[in-house]
Amino acid sequence: MKTTTKRFFTALAAGALLVGMTGCSTPAQDNQATAPQENASASGEKEVLIGGIGPLTGDYANYGTAARNGAQIAVDEINAAGGVNGMKLVLNYQDSAGDPDSAVAAYGKLIDQGMDVSLGGVLSGETASIVAAAKEDGLLVLTPSASADAAITGNDSAFRVCFTDSSQGTASANYIADNQLATEVAVFYQSDIDYSVGLYRAFEAQCQASNITIKEVQTFTKDTSTDFSTQINAIKDSGAKLVFIPIYAAEASTFLTQAAGKLPEGTVYFGCDGLDGILGKVSDVSVAENVMLLTPFAADDPAENVQSFVKAYKQANGDATPDQFAADGYDAIYAIKAAIEKSGVTDPSAADFNSKLVAAMPEITVDGVTGTMTWTAEGETVKDAKAMIIHDGAAVLYTK
Amino acid sequence: MTHFIQTLISSLSLGSIYALIALGYTMVYGIAKMLNFAHGDIIMVGAYTVIVAAFQLGMPPLVAALMSIVVCVLLGVLIERLAYKPLRQAPPLSVLITAIGVSYLLQNLALLLFGSEQKAFPTLITLPELHLGAVVIDGITLVTLAATAVIMVGLTLFINKTRVGKALRAVSEDKEAAELMGISTNKTITLTFAIGSALAAVASIFYGATYIYIKPTTGAMPGIKAFTAAVFGGIGSIPGAMLGGILLGMIEQFSKTYISTLWSDAIVFGVLVLILVVKPTGLLGRQIKEKV
Repeated sequence: MKTTTKRFFTALAAGALLVGMTGCSTPAQDNQATAPQENASASGEKEVLIGGIGPLTGDYANYGTAARNGAQIAVDEINAAGGVNGMKLVLNYQDSAGDPDSAVAAYGKLIDQGMDVSLGGVLSGETASIVAAAKEDGLLVLTPSASADAAITGNDSAFRVCFTDSSQGTASANYIADNQLATEVAVFYQSDIDYSVGLYRAFEAQCQASNITIKEVQTFTKDTSTDFSTQINAIKDSGAKLVFIPIYAAEASTFLTQAAGKLPEGTVYFGCDGLDGILGKVSDVSVAENVMLLTPFAADDPAENVQSFVKAYKQANGDATPDQFAADGYDAIYAIKAAIEKSGVTDPSAADFNSKLVAAMPEITVDGVTGTMTWTAEGETVKDAKAMIIHDGAAVLYTK
Repeated sequence: MTHFIQTLISSLSLGSIYALIALGYTMVYGIAKMLNFAHGDIIMVGAYTVIVAAFQLGMPPLVAALMSIVVCVLLGVLIERLAYKPLRQAPPLSVLITAIGVSYLLQNLALLLFGSEQKAFPTLITLPELHLGAVVIDGITLVTLAATAVIMVGLTLFINKTRVGKALRAVSEDKEAAELMGISTNKTITLTFAIGSALAAVASIFYGATYIYIKPTTGAMPGIKAFTAAVFGGIGSIPGAMLGGILLGMIEQFSKTYISTLWSDAIVFGVLVLILVVKPTGLLGRQIKEKV
């Protein structure tokens, strides 16, 4: 009896090990399938190796996989249409699990494989490390979604597709003031992530300029993100009719579910791109009534290019609706395509490939699913944000 | 005043959930003299069971809740058989490490099966809110409080008045002597794991119904808090776990409301340190004399 249980235990342990190993090796296998050994394929056609890094496993896996899946759709579309300047695009995404050290290691691995253009990282922390490591290589780094202000500083060849956190906070305050949504607001933000803190600080600064009074500020952290009853009571007592929630959709869905019935009917919840995908996360869409999002991308946007992207993404990813990260990944690839076309490069192994691409970035205009974008020489994107409001379980463009 | 009552009610609700989980920790410690760190993750398994049973198997919500209790009891007993029983004679540290291993195994299995995205818990029963002046009490909060009270009274009677309860106390008191009296230690330990896991399943149902969203790491933080509650009340003591859980819930919610949401956890653990400095065995813990 004793030996049988021991054997059982060993089997269990071995099983656990196996499960752990499969979990880790899946993305790597995917990569090997698509990774070229050199820049020329068997047919002699030149290939541009685009290397992406992001959390494909772990707590933030949904962001990394969304960015990768979005980018993959753009790569497939471009290759199906004959590539760019006679070159095929190849995407190789590596897992960082959201950890900056792993991200830098993954960057080194991609460089060894002959990476021509980098998609940086998906999260801000890892991107800052990659951008610093990439400085001496001089290649174009275009992060889809690293929005912290400092994520791309210190490297002249680093650019981003998304807005910075501070610009979103400023834009939110301006939008609320310009559209006279409220003069007294409450804020609910997550105090242990850069994204939320960055947005809040810029929002607070702009509120003073725009004559908006912040009546109440409530916070939470990752470890205290299940029970918001005390924060909701405080917001209720403040009497604010608009709550600014610069947080991610997962926490926002918890907040909205708990606030339903507690905060007065008609309270407006105003968030930024982090709220994208909220309708798929709440247990009951009625709690998301009156949620406004100031975001460059909304899957419910009726624009033709957005809808065709949403359709392609759903088809390729088991009916999942693309979020902000997927859209950023998709647009990043089209921006690279535009830069290649503008600079006229035809050979990734040419010595001036990197410098020509970087020089082309501030000159291109990309009509993407996150809006019509241009770039400054500092690497920041210039585009409009759309305001969406949720009514009866669907997001519609907000009109006054 | 409204504020105060509202906070009191939410703290009792949270405290009840902690107390239910803490009972599992304290009973297992009292009888098997081990810390079952996988206990918190049983809550997560219980919650996912309800979600799968209700949404994918289409069971009525209350049947799904019962299903979750059955699954948790089986899992608790299975874990004890496979992971802890072979280590009964091993040093306590080995068992502790094994328990942490089981905890990670459960979390990662859930990550593989359900993904890292949170899942919504089904609505088990729709209850009207209770309005007392300006104070609003959720229906589920009332059910949580009532059910916890019933379970605690029932468990106390079971431990103190029944033969099986007597056997549990005997094993906890002195394992060898109990065995000489004809009590099967193994059966008693299995029973303890079964009861503890059933209580964790009940806690998971209330947790899910109150906080709605479930992730693979859902069990981790309540698990640690409940363990703290068990130590706070005196580990090994059943009334201690109940008292510890309720007090912990109150300290946490009141410091969130009146001091700072950022500092609440620091305050909770700070109070724990203070109590242990003054009374190392916890509030209701007994001094155990080492036999020489």
